[in-house]
Amino acid sequence: MINTIILSWTTFIYFAAFVFYLVRMVSGKEFWGRLGTVTALIGLFAHTAALILRWITSYQIGIGHAPLSNLYESLIFFAWSIVALYLVIEWRTKNRSLGTFVVPVAFLSMAFASLSPNISSRIQPLIPALQSNWLTTHVITCFLGYAAFTVAFALGLMVLLKGMEHENHARSQRFIRLIPEPGILDELIYQSAVLGFVFLTIGIMTGSIWAHYAWGSYWSWDPKETWSLITWLVYAIMLHARYIRGWRGKRMAVMAIVGFICVLITYLGVNYLPGLHSYQ
Amino acid sequence: MRKNYELFFILIKIAVQWYSHFPLQSEEVSHFVEKKSCPVLFRVGETGHCSFDPDFCGVHPGHPYPPAGLRGLQLFNVYHSAWFMILMALLAANLVVCSLDRFPMAWKRFRQVSEPDREDLFEKIPSDQVIIKETPLRSETDRLELLLKKKAGRVARRDEAGRSYLYGEKGAYSYFGVYIIHLSVLIIMAGVMIGFLFGFEGYVDIPEGESAAAVALKGGRGVKNLDFAVRCDRFFIDFYENGTPKTYRSDLTFLKAGRAVQSSAVLVNHPVAFGGMRFYQANYGMIPTGDPVMVVTQDDKKIKDVKVAIGMAFDLPEKKAKVQMVRVEEDLMGMGPAVKLSIQSPAGEVQLWVFQAIEQIGQANPGLLEQVPIFNPGLFKPYVFSLVQANNRYYTGLQVAQDPGVPLVAVGAALMMIGFMVVFFCSHRQIWIRLDVKGDKTRISIAGKSNRDAVGLERAIRKWLDAVKLNKESAA
Ligand code: HEM
Repeated sequence: MINTIILSWTTFIYFAAFVFYLVRMVSGKEFWGRLGTVTALIGLFAHTAALILRWITSYQIGIGHAPLSNLYESLIFFAWSIVALYLVIEWRTKNRSLGTFVVPVAFLSMAFASLSPNISSRIQPLIPALQSNWLTTHVITCFLGYAAFTVAFALGLMVLLKGMEHENHARSQRFIRLIPEPGILDELIYQSAVLGFVFLTIGIMTGSIWAHYAWGSYWSWDPKETWSLITWLVYAIMLHARYIRGWRGKRMAVMAIVGFICVLITYLGVNYLPGLHSYQ
Repeated sequence: MRKNYELFFILIKIAVQWYSHFPLQSEEVSHFVEKKSCPVLFRVGETGHCSFDPDFCGVHPGHPYPPAGLRGLQLFNVYHSAWFMILMALLAANLVVCSLDRFPMAWKRFRQVSEPDREDLFEKIPSDQVIIKETPLRSETDRLELLLKKKAGRVARRDEAGRSYLYGEKGAYSYFGVYIIHLSVLIIMAGVMIGFLFGFEGYVDIPEGESAAAVALKGGRGVKNLDFAVRCDRFFIDFYENGTPKTYRSDLTFLKAGRAVQSSAVLVNHPVAFGGMRFYQANYGMIPTGDPVMVVTQDDKKIKDVKVAIGMAFDLPEKKAKVQMVRVEEDLMGMGPAVKLSIQSPAGEVQLWVFQAIEQIGQANPGLLEQVPIFNPGLFKPYVFSLVQANNRYYTGLQVAQDPGVPLVAVGAALMMIGFMVVFFCSHRQIWIRLDVKGDKTRISIAGKSNRDAVGLERAIRKWLDAVKLNKESAA
């Protein structure tokens, strides 16, 4: 189908964008950064077009639903959210170094969706449990939250790298020098974590409402629900540590990385456990 | 009270460590095994809320049974363990104590209107936050005060010889956002507790055409009798072209004292409420009706089916044969249902036993059919006789739930969102304006403070500077 072909091309476009951002960091020439931005924008445009096409196609084959219903579609949407959020941040902060750290995650998500033999890219009809208006809200809010956490994670890596500034030799010095000041990173980590936290909360709430209609209980402690709660608590702890203990810099970076690991377990890890949420 | 915060950390650490060593309760193991091994009917699993039927809830059927360590971490059945209750109570107590301890401070900060003449603040401001204007001090102060009253919640003014101070603030209520969030957490916890103490979850399977007035409680906690009955009038399944299930639907009728009170269709994602409970489509299955049928096939084609009853007779005209059922056994020699046929034809009489489970019997006893021809259902060629349970009926598997805590949880969730809005998107913003006479001109300096939103404050100060530079009142 045409949408999957566009999506596999988009995967390569994102890879190219990542390479351009990386060349910028290594060479210090802003030209590569601009090229990266243009490439990422083209990728996002193609990506959006493919999602819309996929949506339309699903109606044409008579099983119409938003393209958010299986693992393939969720990985694709995850990547979309990451790139969209990143481009907004780039536009707002006028800084491109984050691209080197965030865009590869989007690329990996796309590549995993397209290349993994166990993941079907076919448009599948919705089984009865998924036939709910809450499906769309739930998935969109969760993945916007995950995307914000991904950005926080990438920023966390940048903080840790920045911390190694003087110990390195000239070539990678430039790479590290191009990373923004710790103060700016810290503020950005905090804002992304807050954004993710609010979206994750809405995601958990919409999920509970859906479960209330579909499963007879708003909370059933299946592995995905439990891990989403753990993730939620980790970010709550992170925000509290900042408010109350005044944590900044490296500690927040470590929390952002720990939180992202929880996100990955919530999203992908629990598929290897039995539960109601597993993707087919 | 800092210590309290540490306690909160430690509690979570203890909880996680404790949990990873927590043994799986034996009850859960048995349910899991039951779900996997029950071959005939897909029984509702008591720990999950749906059947083992993979299509039903999107469960992947091929998952391996998780290793013990992971099982511990899944927090299965976490509601029912005492440690969870204790943890929740401790967390709630901690939350209450902390909030009570800190609330007076927030209240003070909220009540307190700052002094307008804070000279110290003006010492640190950058030079571009100072403007010299031609207008006289008095009229400029009046104009800015009016503007401030429009823009800010609380305004104060102080006039001294040769200088005036203005102060405006808004968003002081944002100090309470945290308490709204913490209160919402407590409300949600309360809702969960109420649901746990006064609600229940159960399951019931009802065959089409039959009714039930009791449900099996989750986790093998007994049976709950209902003061009404539920009848399943019909169960439907609809499939997509590729064979994926599309709809599961049960038409239910609720009966009180034998009279139908309400008829509703229950679908997945569309539960029905009755008598303070909710009924969910959770499962389905087939049950044999109990009327066995004798099927006659010739060259693998079915040519006849006949109800099983003693004395029942039918003809096989091609062979001019007359067949009669001379014995009907529910369980012959431990080998299941069987019927003995006597076949009269021009070639003489043949007697044979037809077993329902002939395939399994043949597999378990190789060579049996050759050794004991009377057990061979294909003895009277070219016909083959078999016994089947005909007209299978659907039963619907309903989940029944009552949770009086739901409204409270919903209120808590709504409150939490409000709290988020206040904490993350509102801030306390204070603006000080100092005006003093500089020769025949007026010097105006602006300073500001924000408890959270430095960027927003910066923007607000810029706006005030623009407003000061302009002479029209509509500015800013
Ligand atoms: C979700 C958003 C939340 C935010 C923004 C938030 C914010 C805060 C803030 C600012 C404080 C310090 C209170 C003060 O200075 O007066 C605090 C304290 C506290 N929070 Fe939260 N909180 C949130 C959620 C939670 C949750 C979900 C829990 C527990 C399940 C929790 C437990 C606590 C506890 C125990 C304290 C007291 C710490 C102490 O004062 O020693 N909070 N929170």
